[in-house]
Amino acid sequence: MIPTEAHGTIALQPSACTSCMICVRECPTWCIELESHTEQVSEPDARRPKTVNILDAFRIDFGLCMYCGICVDLCPFDALAWSPEHDLAATTAGGLVLGIDELSRAWPNRNPTSGS
Amino acid sequence: MTPLQSSALERRFRVSGHPQLLISVLDVGLACCALEVGAAITAGLLVLEEPEHSAVLEPRMNVLLISGTVTDALAPGIIRAWEALDEPRVAVSFGACANTGGPYWDAPTVTKGIDQLIPMSVYIPGCPPRPEALIAGLARLAGVGDAG
Repeated sequence: MIPTEAHGTIALQPSACTSCMICVRECPTWCIELESHTEQVSEPDARRPKTVNILDAFRIDFGLCMYCGICVDLCPFDALAWSPEHDLAATTAGGLVLGIDELSRAWPNRNPTSGS
Repeated sequence: MTPLQSSALERRFRVSGHPQLLISVLDVGLACCALEVGAAITAGLLVLEEPEHSAVLEPRMNVLLISGTVTDALAPGIIRAWEALDEPRVAVSFGACANTGGPYWDAPTVTKGIDQLIPMSVYIPGCPPRPEALIAGLARLAGVGDAG
């Protein structure tokens, strides 16, 4: 029986990610890749358009990841979290590199009151 | 160099939840990941076959399980262990060090992934991976789908 708070893998909530790059820069094994671009968002009453980051790609190479959780701890927007998902074995080394879709599928389905 | 007698070191296992998967494992436990292999046995996820039974039940697969950090100094030993393994044989990489060098990605003495030495069948990510991740990875060998 695997506890729901188990450190099985790291999951991403793309909508919470601001592409701030803190996880990428602080990762001790440099296993995170992030690509983003900026867009101008106009709001009716604003004097000028706002510039926002749009996340294009987010990849974690779980072949390299040492599961230290520094990215989870440092993310200012809780876009990264531990997930109990553990069945991630691959038949190729490239198969250990997970993108936005796989990382967000692993997002833990926890009771919000139980904390993370 | 004397040939390695790997058969004396191999142990035969049944994999919990996958009755069709009977494997003979040469466990190369080189670092902390090896403890998780031991934990899988203690938890009953890997079930050791008694020698008298395993003579009847021929293992379908010889598995070289590399769990831990492979240094360049040790690399020739890994290659010898692989070459000593009888067919049908597969190699399984368990944990970040064996997969890519992991935390030692910048160390001059650590092999950055044992797939540089021998052909790998399964890579199991983790630092270390859970015992359940080992079972899920071994399940890939039989193509029996996802383990619970």
